[in-house]
Amino acid sequence: MSVFAVTRLELRRLLVRPLAWVLAALTVAQLAGRFMLLLQIFLTNQIRLAAQPGGPGYTDLVAIPMLSSILTSGLLPMLPFGLAELALVVVPLLTMSTLASERGNGTLPLWFAAGLPASRIVLGKYLALLLWLVPWLLVTLAMPLSLAHGLALDWGKLASASLGLLLMLAALVAIGVACSAYASHPAIAATASLMLGLALVSANVGALVAGIDNGIVNWLSMSTHLDTLIRGLVSSADVAWFVLVIAVALALATQRLAAERERG
Amino acid sequence: MSAPTAVLELVHITRHRAGRPAVADLSLRLDAGQVLGLLGVNGAGKSTTLAMVAGALVPDGGGIRLQGRDFIEHPELARRVVGWLPERAPLWPELTVREHLDAHGRLRGLRAAELAQARARIVERLELGPLARRLAGVLSQGQRQRLGLACALLHQPALLVLDEPANALDPVQVASLRALIREQAAAGTAIILSTHLLAEVTAACDRVAILHEGRLRHDAPVQSEDHKQLEQVFFDIAMRGDGNPARMQAA
Repeated sequence: MSVFAVTRLELRRLLVRPLAWVLAALTVAQLAGRFMLLLQIFLTNQIRLAAQPGGPGYTDLVAIPMLSSILTSGLLPMLPFGLAELALVVVPLLTMSTLASERGNGTLPLWFAAGLPASRIVLGKYLALLLWLVPWLLVTLAMPLSLAHGLALDWGKLASASLGLLLMLAALVAIGVACSAYASHPAIAATASLMLGLALVSANVGALVAGIDNGIVNWLSMSTHLDTLIRGLVSSADVAWFVLVIAVALALATQRLAAERERG
Repeated sequence: MSAPTAVLELVHITRHRAGRPAVADLSLRLDAGQVLGLLGVNGAGKSTTLAMVAGALVPDGGGIRLQGRDFIEHPELARRVVGWLPERAPLWPELTVREHLDAHGRLRGLRAAELAQARARIVERLELGPLARRLAGVLSQGQRQRLGLACALLHQPALLVLDEPANALDPVQVASLRALIREQAAAGTAIILSTHLLAEVTAACDRVAILHEGRLRHDAPVQSEDHKQLEQVFFDIAMRGDGNPARMQAA
Protein backbone atom coordinates (compact mmCIF):
# COMPACT_ATOMS: atom_id res chain seq x y z
CA MET A 1 0.00 0.00 0.00
CA SER A 2 2.75 2.44 0.95
CA VAL A 3 4.57 1.66 -2.33
CA PHE A 4 1.52 2.92 -4.23
CA ALA A 5 1.36 6.04 -2.05
CA VAL A 6 4.96 6.77 -3.05
CA THR A 7 4.19 5.96 -6.72
CA ARG A 8 1.17 8.24 -6.68
CA LEU A 9 3.09 11.14 -5.17
CA GLU A 10 6.03 10.72 -7.53
CA LEU A 11 3.74 10.46 -10.56
CA ARG A 12 1.96 13.62 -9.49
CA ARG A 13 5.30 15.41 -9.20
CA LEU A 14 6.22 14.23 -12.72
CA LEU A 15 2.87 15.36 -14.13
CA VAL A 16 3.22 18.91 -12.86
CA ARG A 17 6.85 19.32 -13.92
CA PRO A 18 7.23 21.10 -17.29
CA LEU A 19 10.38 19.11 -18.14
CA ALA A 20 8.48 15.82 -18.46
CA TRP A 21 5.91 17.37 -20.82
CA VAL A 22 8.49 19.24 -22.88
CA LEU A 23 10.51 16.06 -23.34
CA ALA A 24 7.38 14.10 -24.26
CA ALA A 25 6.22 16.71 -26.79
CA LEU A 26 9.60 17.14 -28.46
CA THR A 27 10.36 13.44 -28.72
CA VAL A 28 6.89 12.50 -29.98
CA ALA A 29 7.16 15.26 -32.63
CA GLN A 30 10.55 13.91 -33.63
CA LEU A 31 9.24 10.35 -33.76
CA ALA A 32 6.29 11.50 -35.88
CA GLY A 33 8.79 13.04 -38.32
CA ARG A 34 10.70 9.76 -38.39
CA PHE A 35 7.48 7.86 -39.06
CA MET A 36 6.61 10.07 -42.04
CA LEU A 37 10.09 9.63 -43.52
CA LEU A 38 10.08 5.86 -43.01
CA LEU A 39 6.63 5.64 -44.56
CA GLN A 40 7.71 7.70 -47.53
CA ILE A 41 10.74 5.45 -48.11
CA PHE A 42 8.55 2.36 -47.77
CA LEU A 43 5.96 3.64 -50.27
CA THR A 44 8.64 4.70 -52.77
CA ASN A 45 10.19 1.23 -52.73
CA GLN A 46 7.02 -0.78 -52.20
CA ILE A 47 6.72 -2.20 -55.73
CA ARG A 48 10.39 -3.12 -55.96
CA LEU A 49 10.29 -4.76 -52.50
CA ALA A 50 7.13 -6.68 -53.29
CA ALA A 51 8.94 -8.29 -56.24
CA GLN A 52 11.65 -9.72 -53.93
CA PRO A 53 10.73 -13.05 -52.36
CA GLY A 54 11.13 -12.75 -48.57
CA GLY A 55 12.06 -9.07 -48.86
CA PRO A 56 11.52 -6.65 -45.96
CA GLY A 57 7.99 -5.44 -45.42
CA TYR A 58 6.17 -2.74 -43.46
CA THR A 59 7.19 -4.22 -40.11
CA ASP A 60 10.90 -4.24 -40.94
CA LEU A 61 10.96 -0.91 -42.73
CA VAL A 62 8.54 1.20 -40.71
CA ALA A 63 7.18 -0.35 -37.49
CA ILE A 64 10.38 -1.68 -35.89
CA PRO A 65 12.64 1.19 -37.04
CA MET A 66 10.33 3.46 -35.05
CA LEU A 67 11.58 1.71 -31.94
CA SER A 68 15.25 1.46 -32.77
CA SER A 69 17.64 2.67 -35.46
CA ILE A 70 19.69 -0.52 -35.51
CA LEU A 71 17.90 -1.97 -38.54
CA THR A 72 18.10 1.28 -40.48
CA SER A 73 21.43 2.73 -39.34
CA GLY A 74 23.33 1.33 -42.32
CA LEU A 75 20.69 2.16 -44.89
CA LEU A 76 19.34 5.46 -43.62
CA PRO A 77 21.92 7.14 -41.41
CA MET A 78 20.38 10.58 -41.84
CA LEU A 79 16.99 9.68 -40.33
CA PRO A 80 16.02 11.10 -36.93
CA PHE A 81 16.56 8.79 -33.96
CA GLY A 82 14.33 5.91 -32.94
CA LEU A 83 12.83 5.49 -29.47
CA ALA A 84 15.78 3.46 -28.13
CA GLU A 85 18.29 6.18 -29.00
CA LEU A 86 16.04 8.93 -27.61
CA ALA A 87 15.56 6.96 -24.40
CA LEU A 88 19.28 7.13 -23.68
CA VAL A 89 18.92 10.91 -23.30
CA VAL A 90 15.31 11.27 -22.11
CA VAL A 91 15.39 8.74 -19.27
CA PRO A 92 18.38 10.34 -17.45
CA LEU A 93 16.63 13.72 -17.66
CA LEU A 94 13.45 12.27 -16.17
CA THR A 95 15.13 10.25 -13.44
CA MET A 96 17.74 12.80 -12.35
CA SER A 97 15.45 14.51 -9.81
CA THR A 98 14.00 11.32 -8.32
CA LEU A 99 16.12 11.30 -5.19
CA ALA A 100 18.80 13.94 -5.81
CA SER A 101 16.28 16.79 -5.76
CA GLU A 102 14.66 15.40 -2.60
CA ARG A 103 18.06 15.70 -1.01
CA GLY A 104 18.31 19.31 -2.22
CA ASN A 105 14.77 20.20 -1.02
CA GLY A 106 15.41 18.61 2.36
CA THR A 107 12.37 16.36 1.81
CA LEU A 108 14.26 13.06 1.94
CA PRO A 109 13.97 12.76 5.76
CA LEU A 110 10.18 13.11 5.40
CA TRP A 111 10.10 9.75 3.63
CA PHE A 112 12.07 8.09 6.43
CA ALA A 113 9.89 9.76 9.05
CA ALA A 114 6.82 8.26 7.37
CA GLY A 115 8.14 4.88 8.53
CA LEU A 116 8.84 3.68 4.98
CA PRO A 117 11.74 1.31 4.37
CA ALA A 118 14.20 2.47 1.72
CA SER A 119 13.19 -0.40 -0.58
CA ARG A 120 9.58 0.83 -0.77
CA ILE A 121 10.64 4.41 -1.44
CA VAL A 122 12.90 3.28 -4.30
CA LEU A 123 10.33 0.85 -5.71
CA GLY A 124 7.51 3.40 -5.54
CA LYS A 125 9.54 6.02 -7.36
CA TYR A 126 10.73 3.47 -9.94
CA LEU A 127 7.16 2.40 -10.72
CA ALA A 128 6.05 6.03 -11.15
CA LEU A 129 8.75 6.65 -13.74
CA LEU A 130 7.83 3.47 -15.60
CA LEU A 131 4.17 4.49 -15.59
CA TRP A 132 5.21 7.77 -17.23
CA LEU A 133 7.39 6.08 -19.87
CA VAL A 134 5.08 3.22 -20.91
CA PRO A 135 2.60 5.62 -22.59
CA TRP A 136 5.60 7.10 -24.44
CA LEU A 137 6.29 3.64 -25.89
CA LEU A 138 2.59 3.13 -26.65
CA VAL A 139 2.30 6.47 -28.49
CA THR A 140 5.35 5.53 -30.57
CA LEU A 141 3.80 2.15 -31.39
CA ALA A 142 0.46 3.78 -32.20
CA MET A 143 2.00 5.53 -35.23
CA PRO A 144 2.86 2.41 -37.27
CA LEU A 145 -0.18 0.57 -35.86
CA SER A 146 -2.49 3.27 -37.25
CA LEU A 147 -1.92 1.76 -40.71
CA ALA A 148 -2.07 -1.86 -39.57
CA HIS A 149 -5.58 -2.42 -40.99
CA GLY A 150 -4.35 -1.92 -44.57
CA LEU A 151 -0.95 -3.59 -44.36
CA ALA A 152 0.41 -6.97 -43.35
CA LEU A 153 2.14 -6.66 -39.98
CA ASP A 154 4.42 -9.27 -38.43
CA TRP A 155 2.79 -9.12 -34.98
CA GLY A 156 5.21 -11.55 -33.35
CA LYS A 157 8.25 -9.57 -34.43
CA LEU A 158 6.68 -6.29 -33.35
CA ALA A 159 5.74 -7.76 -29.95
CA SER A 160 9.31 -8.99 -29.45
CA ALA A 161 10.76 -5.59 -30.37
CA SER A 162 8.26 -3.85 -28.07
CA LEU A 163 9.26 -6.16 -25.22
CA GLY A 164 12.89 -5.31 -25.91
CA LEU A 165 12.16 -1.58 -25.73
CA LEU A 166 10.10 -1.99 -22.56
CA LEU A 167 12.97 -3.87 -20.90
CA MET A 168 15.45 -1.28 -22.09
CA LEU A 169 13.34 1.55 -20.63
CA ALA A 170 12.95 -0.38 -17.37
CA ALA A 171 16.73 -0.92 -17.14
CA LEU A 172 17.56 2.69 -17.96
CA VAL A 173 15.06 3.93 -15.35
CA ALA A 174 16.59 1.66 -12.71
CA ILE A 175 20.07 2.95 -13.58
CA GLY A 176 18.76 6.53 -13.45
CA VAL A 177 17.17 6.01 -10.03
CA ALA A 178 20.42 4.50 -8.73
CA CYS A 179 22.45 7.44 -10.07
CA SER A 180 19.97 9.85 -8.48
CA ALA A 181 20.34 8.03 -5.16
CA TYR A 182 24.10 8.48 -5.20
CA ALA A 183 24.34 11.98 -6.69
CA SER A 184 24.25 15.16 -4.65
CA HIS A 185 22.78 17.16 -7.53
CA PRO A 186 20.30 16.22 -10.31
CA ALA A 187 22.68 17.36 -13.07
CA ILE A 188 25.35 14.98 -11.79
CA ALA A 189 22.77 12.18 -11.67
CA ALA A 190 21.71 12.87 -15.27
CA THR A 191 25.30 12.93 -16.52
CA ALA A 192 26.22 9.72 -14.71
CA SER A 193 23.08 7.99 -15.91
CA LEU A 194 23.66 9.09 -19.53
CA MET A 195 27.27 7.93 -19.45
CA LEU A 196 26.35 4.57 -17.93
CA GLY A 197 23.59 4.08 -20.51
CA LEU A 198 25.93 4.92 -23.39
CA ALA A 199 28.64 2.67 -21.95
CA LEU A 200 26.20 -0.23 -21.63
CA VAL A 201 24.95 0.21 -25.19
CA SER A 202 28.37 0.61 -26.76
CA ALA A 203 30.41 -1.77 -24.59
CA ASN A 204 30.61 -4.34 -27.37
CA VAL A 205 31.63 -2.01 -30.23
CA GLY A 206 35.34 -2.67 -29.78
CA ALA A 207 34.75 -6.43 -29.56
CA LEU A 208 32.62 -6.40 -32.70
CA VAL A 209 35.29 -4.42 -34.59
CA ALA A 210 37.80 -7.07 -33.50
CA GLY A 211 35.46 -9.76 -34.80
CA ILE A 212 34.48 -11.13 -31.37
CA ASP A 213 30.76 -11.64 -31.03
CA ASN A 214 30.48 -14.07 -28.14
CA GLY A 215 32.77 -12.79 -25.35
CA ILE A 216 32.10 -11.42 -21.90
CA VAL A 217 32.18 -7.86 -23.23
CA ASN A 218 29.44 -8.74 -25.69
CA TRP A 219 27.42 -10.28 -22.87
CA LEU A 220 27.83 -7.14 -20.77
CA SER A 221 26.56 -4.90 -23.54
CA MET A 222 22.89 -3.97 -23.62
CA SER A 223 22.98 -3.89 -27.45
CA THR A 224 23.69 -7.62 -27.61
CA HIS A 225 20.47 -8.41 -25.75
CA LEU A 226 18.34 -5.63 -27.20
CA ASP A 227 19.29 -6.37 -30.83
CA THR A 228 18.15 -9.98 -30.49
CA LEU A 229 14.74 -8.87 -29.22
CA ILE A 230 14.47 -6.13 -31.86
CA ARG A 231 15.11 -8.74 -34.56
CA GLY A 232 12.20 -10.81 -33.24
CA LEU A 233 13.94 -13.44 -31.15
CA VAL A 234 12.79 -13.64 -27.51
CA SER A 235 15.36 -15.47 -25.43
CA SER A 236 15.06 -16.00 -21.68
CA ALA A 237 18.81 -15.27 -21.34
CA ASP A 238 18.29 -11.80 -22.80
CA VAL A 239 15.25 -11.12 -20.61
CA ALA A 240 17.23 -12.35 -17.59
CA TRP A 241 20.05 -9.90 -18.41
CA PHE A 242 17.64 -6.97 -18.24
CA VAL A 243 16.04 -8.27 -15.03
CA LEU A 244 19.50 -8.61 -13.50
CA VAL A 245 20.46 -5.03 -14.40
CA ILE A 246 17.18 -3.71 -12.95
CA ALA A 247 17.58 -5.72 -9.74
CA VAL A 248 21.20 -4.66 -9.21
CA ALA A 249 20.48 -0.97 -9.88
CA LEU A 250 17.44 -0.90 -7.56
CA ALA A 251 19.34 -2.79 -4.85
CA LEU A 252 22.16 -0.24 -5.03
CA ALA A 253 19.69 2.65 -4.80
CA THR A 254 17.99 1.02 -1.80
CA GLN A 255 21.31 0.37 -0.09
CA ARG A 256 22.38 4.00 -0.60
CA LEU A 257 19.12 5.36 0.78
CA ALA A 258 19.18 3.06 3.80
CA ALA A 259 22.78 4.11 4.50
CA GLU A 260 21.72 7.75 4.30
CA ARG A 261 19.14 7.19 7.03
CA GLU A 262 21.79 5.47 9.13
CA ARG A 263 24.44 8.11 8.53
CA GLY A 264 22.21 11.15 8.52
CA MET B 1 -1.42 1.84 40.74
CA SER B 2 1.07 1.32 37.88
CA ALA B 3 2.55 4.31 36.04
CA PRO B 4 1.05 5.02 32.61
CA THR B 5 3.06 3.88 29.58
CA ALA B 6 5.21 6.71 28.33
CA VAL B 7 4.51 7.92 24.79
CA LEU B 8 8.24 8.47 24.31
CA GLU B 9 11.23 7.11 26.17
CA LEU B 10 14.80 7.89 25.17
CA VAL B 11 17.21 5.53 26.87
CA HIS B 12 20.86 6.64 26.78
CA ILE B 13 20.75 7.52 23.10
CA THR B 14 23.93 8.60 21.36
CA ARG B 15 24.49 9.88 17.87
CA HIS B 16 27.74 11.03 16.26
CA ARG B 17 27.90 13.57 13.47
CA ALA B 18 31.04 14.63 11.63
CA GLY B 19 33.11 12.56 14.03
CA ARG B 20 31.88 14.17 17.26
CA PRO B 21 28.99 13.24 19.53
CA ALA B 22 26.00 15.40 18.49
CA VAL B 23 23.88 13.67 21.14
CA ALA B 24 25.47 11.78 24.04
CA ASP B 25 23.83 9.47 26.56
CA LEU B 26 20.49 11.27 26.45
CA SER B 27 17.59 9.85 28.44
CA LEU B 28 14.13 11.39 28.59
CA ARG B 29 10.56 10.35 29.18
CA LEU B 30 7.44 12.03 27.85
CA ASP B 31 3.88 11.12 28.84
CA ALA B 32 0.62 11.77 27.02
CA GLY B 33 -0.47 15.40 27.22
CA GLN B 34 2.96 16.69 28.27
CA VAL B 35 4.71 19.49 26.41
CA LEU B 36 8.49 19.33 26.67
CA GLY B 37 10.55 22.30 25.57
CA LEU B 38 14.01 21.36 24.32
CA LEU B 39 16.33 24.31 24.77
CA GLY B 40 19.90 24.76 23.66
CA VAL B 41 22.23 26.96 21.74
CA ASN B 42 22.88 26.26 18.03
CA GLY B 43 24.65 22.94 17.67
CA ALA B 44 23.51 21.67 21.08
CA GLY B 45 21.98 18.56 19.47
CA LYS B 46 18.30 19.56 19.49
CA SER B 47 17.58 18.90 15.80
CA THR B 48 19.56 15.65 15.83
CA THR B 49 17.55 14.48 18.84
CA LEU B 50 14.26 15.38 17.18
CA ALA B 51 15.27 13.71 13.89
CA MET B 52 15.92 10.50 15.83
CA VAL B 53 12.61 10.79 17.67
CA ALA B 54 10.86 11.32 14.32
CA GLY B 55 12.50 8.26 12.78
CA ALA B 56 14.51 10.19 10.18
CA LEU B 57 17.81 9.27 11.79
CA VAL B 58 18.97 6.15 13.60
CA PRO B 59 20.85 6.48 16.91
CA ASP B 60 24.35 5.00 17.13
CA GLY B 61 23.56 3.64 20.57
CA GLY B 62 20.83 3.47 23.19
CA GLY B 63 17.14 2.90 22.64
CA ILE B 64 13.95 4.72 21.73
CA ARG B 65 10.58 3.41 22.87
CA LEU B 66 7.34 4.68 21.39
CA GLN B 67 4.21 3.77 23.34
CA GLY B 68 6.23 1.02 25.00
CA ARG B 69 7.54 -0.52 21.74
CA ASP B 70 11.09 -0.50 20.43
CA PHE B 71 11.14 2.20 17.75
CA ILE B 72 14.50 1.14 16.28
CA GLU B 73 13.21 -2.40 15.75
CA HIS B 74 9.87 -1.10 14.43
CA PRO B 75 10.51 2.10 12.42
CA GLU B 76 7.05 1.70 10.89
CA LEU B 77 5.65 3.01 14.21
CA ALA B 78 6.55 6.48 12.98
CA ARG B 79 3.84 6.21 10.37
CA ARG B 80 0.86 6.59 12.71
CA VAL B 81 2.37 7.56 16.06
CA VAL B 82 4.67 10.48 15.18
CA GLY B 83 4.02 13.81 13.50
CA TRP B 84 7.16 15.81 12.67
CA LEU B 85 7.71 19.39 11.64
CA PRO B 86 11.39 19.71 10.78
CA GLU B 87 13.19 23.04 10.85
CA ARG B 88 12.28 25.19 7.81
CA ALA B 89 9.36 22.88 6.83
CA PRO B 90 10.69 20.97 3.80
CA LEU B 91 8.08 20.88 1.02
CA TRP B 92 7.79 19.80 -2.61
CA PRO B 93 7.69 23.16 -4.43
CA GLU B 94 5.76 21.81 -7.45
CA LEU B 95 2.82 20.52 -5.37
CA THR B 96 -0.09 22.52 -4.01
CA VAL B 97 -1.05 22.82 -0.36
CA ARG B 98 -3.88 20.35 -0.83
CA GLU B 99 -1.64 17.88 -2.65
CA HIS B 100 0.81 18.02 0.24
CA LEU B 101 -1.91 17.15 2.72
CA ASP B 102 -3.17 14.31 0.50
CA ALA B 103 0.33 12.92 -0.01
CA HIS B 104 1.14 13.03 3.71
CA GLY B 105 -2.19 11.43 4.56
CA ARG B 106 -1.62 8.56 2.14
CA LEU B 107 1.95 8.04 3.29
CA ARG B 108 0.63 7.87 6.86
CA GLY B 109 -1.83 5.18 5.80
CA LEU B 110 -5.09 7.16 6.00
CA ARG B 111 -7.94 5.76 3.91
CA ALA B 112 -9.80 8.02 1.47
CA ALA B 113 -12.67 8.83 3.84
CA GLU B 114 -10.35 9.36 6.82
CA LEU B 115 -8.13 11.54 4.69
CA ALA B 116 -10.99 13.76 3.50
CA GLN B 117 -12.17 14.21 7.08
CA ALA B 118 -8.68 14.89 8.44
CA ARG B 119 -7.90 17.32 5.63
CA ALA B 120 -11.09 19.31 6.20
CA ARG B 121 -10.39 19.48 9.94
CA ILE B 122 -6.81 20.63 9.62
CA VAL B 123 -7.48 23.10 6.79
CA GLU B 124 -10.13 24.74 8.93
CA ARG B 125 -8.04 24.72 12.11
CA LEU B 126 -4.94 26.19 10.48
CA GLU B 127 -6.89 28.46 8.13
CA LEU B 128 -5.33 26.97 5.01
CA GLY B 129 -8.52 27.13 2.92
CA PRO B 130 -7.51 30.17 0.82
CA LEU B 131 -4.10 28.58 0.15
CA ALA B 132 -5.37 25.13 -0.81
CA ARG B 133 -4.64 25.49 -4.53
CA ARG B 134 -1.44 27.46 -4.14
CA LEU B 135 1.90 25.84 -5.00
CA ALA B 136 4.17 25.27 -2.01
CA GLY B 137 7.02 26.89 -3.91
CA VAL B 138 5.33 30.31 -3.79
CA LEU B 139 4.24 30.27 -0.13
CA SER B 140 5.72 32.76 2.32
CA GLN B 141 7.90 31.37 5.11
CA GLY B 142 5.06 31.65 7.62
CA GLN B 143 2.63 29.88 5.27
CA ARG B 144 5.18 27.13 4.67
CA GLN B 145 5.49 26.67 8.40
CA ARG B 146 1.69 26.40 8.76
CA LEU B 147 1.55 23.83 5.96
CA GLY B 148 4.37 21.84 7.58
CA LEU B 149 2.45 21.90 10.84
CA ALA B 150 -0.73 20.77 9.09
CA CYS B 151 1.14 17.83 7.53
CA ALA B 152 2.51 16.87 10.94
CA LEU B 153 -0.92 17.01 12.60
CA LEU B 154 -2.99 15.48 9.80
CA HIS B 155 -3.00 11.90 11.08
CA GLN B 156 -3.57 12.95 14.73
CA PRO B 157 -0.28 11.55 16.04
CA ALA B 158 0.22 10.57 19.67
CA LEU B 159 3.60 12.31 19.60
CA LEU B 160 4.16 15.66 17.93
CA VAL B 161 7.76 16.66 17.23
CA LEU B 162 8.26 20.35 16.45
CA ASP B 163 11.65 21.72 15.49
CA GLU B 164 11.75 25.51 15.89
CA PRO B 165 8.06 25.83 14.92
CA ALA B 166 7.89 29.58 15.65
CA ASN B 167 10.58 30.40 13.08
CA ALA B 168 9.36 33.01 10.58
CA LEU B 169 5.96 33.37 12.23
CA ASP B 170 4.61 36.83 13.07
CA PRO B 171 3.44 37.54 16.67
CA VAL B 172 -0.19 36.73 15.85
CA GLN B 173 0.82 33.41 14.32
CA VAL B 174 3.08 32.67 17.29
CA ALA B 175 0.13 33.22 19.66
CA SER B 176 -2.00 30.98 17.48
CA LEU B 177 0.74 28.31 17.48
CA ARG B 178 0.91 28.40 21.28
CA ALA B 179 -2.86 27.99 21.48
CA LEU B 180 -2.66 25.05 19.09
CA ILE B 181 0.06 23.40 21.17
CA ARG B 182 -2.01 23.75 24.35
CA GLU B 183 -5.08 22.43 22.54
CA GLN B 184 -3.21 19.37 21.24
CA ALA B 185 -1.72 18.69 24.67
CA ALA B 186 -5.17 18.93 26.26
CA ALA B 187 -6.35 16.32 23.75
CA GLY B 188 -3.61 13.96 25.02
CA THR B 189 -0.87 14.50 22.44
CA ALA B 190 2.65 14.39 23.82
CA ILE B 191 4.65 17.25 22.35
CA ILE B 192 8.36 17.81 22.15
CA LEU B 193 9.31 21.25 20.99
CA SER B 194 12.77 22.50 20.19
CA THR B 195 13.53 26.18 20.40
CA HIS B 196 16.18 28.64 21.40
CA LEU B 197 13.57 31.17 22.56
CA LEU B 198 13.05 31.06 26.32
CA ALA B 199 9.72 32.86 26.02
CA GLU B 200 8.45 30.02 23.83
CA VAL B 201 9.18 27.52 26.57
CA THR B 202 7.63 29.47 29.43
CA ALA B 203 4.53 30.19 27.36
CA ALA B 204 3.84 26.77 25.89
CA CYS B 205 5.65 24.03 27.80
CA ASP B 206 5.11 22.06 31.00
CA ARG B 207 8.70 20.93 31.20
CA VAL B 208 12.02 22.14 29.96
CA ALA B 209 15.10 20.16 29.06
CA ILE B 210 18.33 21.98 28.27
CA LEU B 211 20.88 20.35 26.01
CA HIS B 212 24.47 21.45 25.79
CA GLU B 213 27.05 19.80 23.56
CA GLY B 214 24.69 16.90 23.06
CA ARG B 215 24.19 16.20 26.76
CA LEU B 216 21.14 16.78 28.93
CA ARG B 217 22.12 19.40 31.50
CA HIS B 218 18.75 20.34 32.98
CA ASP B 219 15.28 18.77 33.10
CA ALA B 220 12.58 20.37 35.28
CA PRO B 221 8.95 21.46 35.24
CA VAL B 222 8.47 24.95 33.83
CA GLN B 223 6.04 26.02 36.55
CA SER B 224 8.82 26.02 39.11
CA GLU B 225 10.86 28.55 37.19
CA ASP B 226 9.92 31.99 36.01
CA HIS B 227 11.37 33.41 32.84
CA LYS B 228 14.22 35.21 34.63
CA GLN B 229 15.29 32.12 36.52
CA LEU B 230 15.17 29.93 33.44
CA GLU B 231 17.21 32.51 31.57
CA GLN B 232 19.88 32.36 34.29
CA VAL B 233 20.02 28.56 34.17
CA PHE B 234 20.21 28.61 30.39
CA PHE B 235 23.06 31.13 30.34
CA ASP B 236 24.95 29.26 33.04
CA ILE B 237 24.76 26.10 30.97
CA ALA B 238 25.48 27.82 27.66
CA MET B 239 28.44 29.83 28.95
CA ARG B 240 29.95 27.41 31.48
CA GLY B 241 28.32 24.12 30.62
CA ASP B 242 26.95 24.00 34.17
CA GLY B 243 23.42 24.51 35.51
CA ASN B 244 24.59 25.82 38.89
CA PRO B 245 22.02 23.97 41.05
CA ALA B 246 22.84 26.10 44.11
CA ARG B 247 21.67 29.26 42.35
CA MET B 248 18.51 27.45 41.23
CA GLN B 249 17.82 26.37 44.82
CA ALA B 250 18.32 29.90 46.09
CA ALA B 251 15.97 31.30 43.49
